Amino acid sequence: MTTLALAIALFLLANLVVALVAAARGPTSADRMLMALLFGTTGTGILALLAAAGAGAAAVDVALVLALLAAIGGIAFAKRAWRARHHVSD
Amino acid sequence: MSAIDWLSALLLVVGAAFFFAGTLGLLRFPDVYSRLHALAKADNLGLGCVLLGLALRADSLAVAMKLLLIWPLVLTASAGVGFAIARRAQTLGIRPWRQGDAP
Amino acid sequence: MRSETWRALVLRGVAFMLLWWVLVEGRHDGWALGALAVVAATWTSLTLAPPGRRRIRPAGLLAFLGFFLWSSIRGGMQVAAMAMRGRRALRPGLIELAVRLPPGWPRILLVNTLTLMPGTLGVELSRKTLRLHVLDERLPVVAEARALEAAIARMLRRTG
Repeated sequence: MTTLALAIALFLLANLVVALVAAARGPTSADRMLMALLFGTTGTGILALLAAAGAGAAAVDVALVLALLAAIGGIAFAKRAWRARHHVSD
Repeated sequence: MSAIDWLSALLLVVGAAFFFAGTLGLLRFPDVYSRLHALAKADNLGLGCVLLGLALRADSLAVAMKLLLIWPLVLTASAGVGFAIARRAQTLGIRPWRQGDAP
Repeated sequence: MRSETWRALVLRGVAFMLLWWVLVEGRHDGWALGALAVVAATWTSLTLAPPGRRRIRPAGLLAFLGFFLWSSIRGGMQVAAMAMRGRRALRPGLIELAVRLPPGWPRILLVNTLTLMPGTLGVELSRKTLRLHVLDERLPVVAEARALEAAIARMLRRTG
């Protein structure tokens, strides 16, 4: 089972790298913002899997904190987008 | 391996498949809006499957619940960031791709 | 204190105790720190978000969670199938809907959960209308959005 968890963690890591490169290439700045989404989902998934693959229970705490920060970041992002309704600054 | 172990392994594999589909969508879909659909929906479902799979074989109920607690937090993050990106794309004047447009 | 405040105090206190129990993985050492954290969290929550006029119906909340879970499974499977087929599977477009929910958190919940629902993505919410990006115009996206709106509306209960 730990082997499976490790294998899947590595698979997700490969996914994350490919997706980050694709998002970073853009073409628009909105595309690049997709990177923020990737760290929240794939990043926490990898950490939780690594905890099961032998990194220890503390890795789950790291995943939880990452998820919490991502949630706060997401809300802040949305609020900013909300307020900046008619101001385009790029 | 017990039935729970099999179910857990199955969920991990299914979760990985959804992450793969999300990445595939990011690579193949034509504009930022549709890419956002792919990442927000497929990756979050993939994460839910992975977390449930891990929670099934956790040592205690508290650890299982801790793993499952991660999911709503990431969902909140994805919803907030996703909305912000869609808004941003609109204020930048990006028109959604339509069938028949050049890529 | 009003009875509503007492009710919120007890409910939130219990919720934070449960959260602490989960965070320490059920261990019993450090309960003093836990008690302090629970009191601090409950006080902060009551200060920052005092119990409002709109209460949530527990049955409605459960129904909403079930609906949400099922929809996000469908949404994930749908978009995964489209990703496998590539862009020829898409028929994207923008649609506008009149919002029927009251302003405040019900609308914010609507626009944010739509992003996780099958085929829809919240783009803009103005005073009366909601603009959505849809992956495939041929799908019953308006019906999906209305079903979500109804699920949120069933959670609301006006008091006072």
